Amino acid sequence: MSDRGPVQFESAARLLRFAVVLGLIYLFLAGVSSLEGGIKVMGADTQERLFSNVSHPIAGLFIGLLGTVLVQSSSASTSVIVGLVASGALGLEAAVPMIMGANLGTTVTNTLVSLGHVRQSNEFRRALSAATVHDFFNVMAVIVLLPFELATGLISRLATGTADLLVGSGGAEWESPLKALVKAPVSALKDGLKSAGFDGNALGVSMVAVGLVVVLVSLISITKNMKQLIAARLERSMNRVLGRGGGLVAIVVGILVTVAVQSSSITTSILIPMSAAGVITLRNAYPVTLGANVGTTITALLAAMAASGSDALSIALVHTWFNVIGILVLFGIPFLRPLPIRAAELLAEIAVRRRTFAFVWVLGMFIIVPLIGVAIFR
Amino acid sequence: MVLSFFKRGESGLEHVAHQTISMLGDARHSFDLASTAVLAGADPAAVGADIRATDERINAAEQQLRSELVVHVAVQGGGDIGLVLGYTLLLKKIERIGDQAKNILDLAEEGISLAGADDVEMFIGRRQQISQMYVEAADILASQDADRARSFLAASRELNAECEAKVHEYMHSDRPGHWAVPRAILHRYWKRIVANLAGIVTAAIEPISSLDYLEGGAADIVD
Repeated sequence: MSDRGPVQFESAARLLRFAVVLGLIYLFLAGVSSLEGGIKVMGADTQERLFSNVSHPIAGLFIGLLGTVLVQSSSASTSVIVGLVASGALGLEAAVPMIMGANLGTTVTNTLVSLGHVRQSNEFRRALSAATVHDFFNVMAVIVLLPFELATGLISRLATGTADLLVGSGGAEWESPLKALVKAPVSALKDGLKSAGFDGNALGVSMVAVGLVVVLVSLISITKNMKQLIAARLERSMNRVLGRGGGLVAIVVGILVTVAVQSSSITTSILIPMSAAGVITLRNAYPVTLGANVGTTITALLAAMAASGSDALSIALVHTWFNVIGILVLFGIPFLRPLPIRAAELLAEIAVRRRTFAFVWVLGMFIIVPLIGVAIFR
Repeated sequence: MVLSFFKRGESGLEHVAHQTISMLGDARHSFDLASTAVLAGADPAAVGADIRATDERINAAEQQLRSELVVHVAVQGGGDIGLVLGYTLLLKKIERIGDQAKNILDLAEEGISLAGADDVEMFIGRRQQISQMYVEAADILASQDADRARSFLAASRELNAECEAKVHEYMHSDRPGHWAVPRAILHRYWKRIVANLAGIVTAAIEPISSLDYLEGGAADIVD
């Protein structure tokens, strides 16, 4: 009898937390819808001025990267991109490099986590290589797939084809049932802002600002609550990866965990202390990060459920296909598989000898090079 | 295997706790076998393979559980850090107990056998007492019962004092070395095993900062 009390309390707390997560998902979808609505309210001239900078694919790539570094979440930045595509202000073609950039930018979090081990050489070597293997995989995926996409449009065509399969070929007019569910709070926000005297661009900017804040706050809260909800499962899964080694199982574990917590950074950052302590090898951690890359695309797919038209779904699917094809090419082809590992080991080796190199890498990769890229190609 | 992600299961520390108890069971098995070789004349070669295999199992479990403790901290943060450090020490103590069973086996492999000796009943009684302490320690770990733990610790102090007295008695015995030395060594090994069992029970109820230290602050060097 005395044991049942805490167990029942724990079950009730879990149920409550699950209900909170459902509420937060609704809030997140409303945020995406508000973002899309806000852009639509702005005039065509304003939209043109805002997004003319990303017409060059390299500029788009780096803006996607910088935006993700800024919010430290590719889930958030890709959801915003989905909202922009849904509003019609950003074309599918221009959004593809931004999605790839977002994929690159998300690796900053675990690289920063690895810098926490900088004082202990051996730990730092293992932690930094586990973090930067994700950087190198994503960089290599962009190097291989961005030119390929620009030349053939294969990834966007694949994504559009998948979206057509899912919503039918008349997808431009498609409206998700979830869109209707989140209409009420967005309309209420719009009416509230109008009655407060906002109109035109001011109304649009306000709706976008509210949408951005809601998307960010709800995503952070979803991640935090889901991590609590699945902590025991997460721990068991990681132990299985340790027990059974890397490969497909590790990829699937990476996908499942990331889908559950809606954040690849959580999954990959958990690997850093494990790698630093030497309980997981770089070769076993690597496929988990690849799974995290795929798993994190669920958020943009979810965001597309609250957006209008099939282009929103297509750009979300671009994110998924980009990562799946990246894995097929860079992990599936045996002679390419060790390349990100070797690059990460080399970088870690150099950084252990000259610690400043690690900080130069972070600043250069995630801030300086993207800023220079945007300045040149915008 | 991946589908297990969706199934309910024990939490990380619960799994470590269950495995720790299972390791104690293995350690007891080794102790009983090694003692049988010395006290009942069992063939050391026959029990040796089993003892070594059990020891390897204990060592592998220690390594696996250490990794699981790191995973626990990586996933859950530092909230359970006291427990995690406590388990790290506890696992090391169980691993040592496993090694001490091998030390007893070494005596048998040296040709020492007390089977049929005049004082063998005293040795058999003490062996049974210690073997039962493994079970008691495992129960205390599972139940976290502070009262039982205190009784256990009192009993272990008493038994250790008896072992210490026996070691002194044998050291000053007029009997020949080949009679006194194995008995003194066996009591010394028992004393260390009991001290480690007491350390395991202490880890279940005392804060991490006081483990391996006596009440006055002096280091506990018996184990």
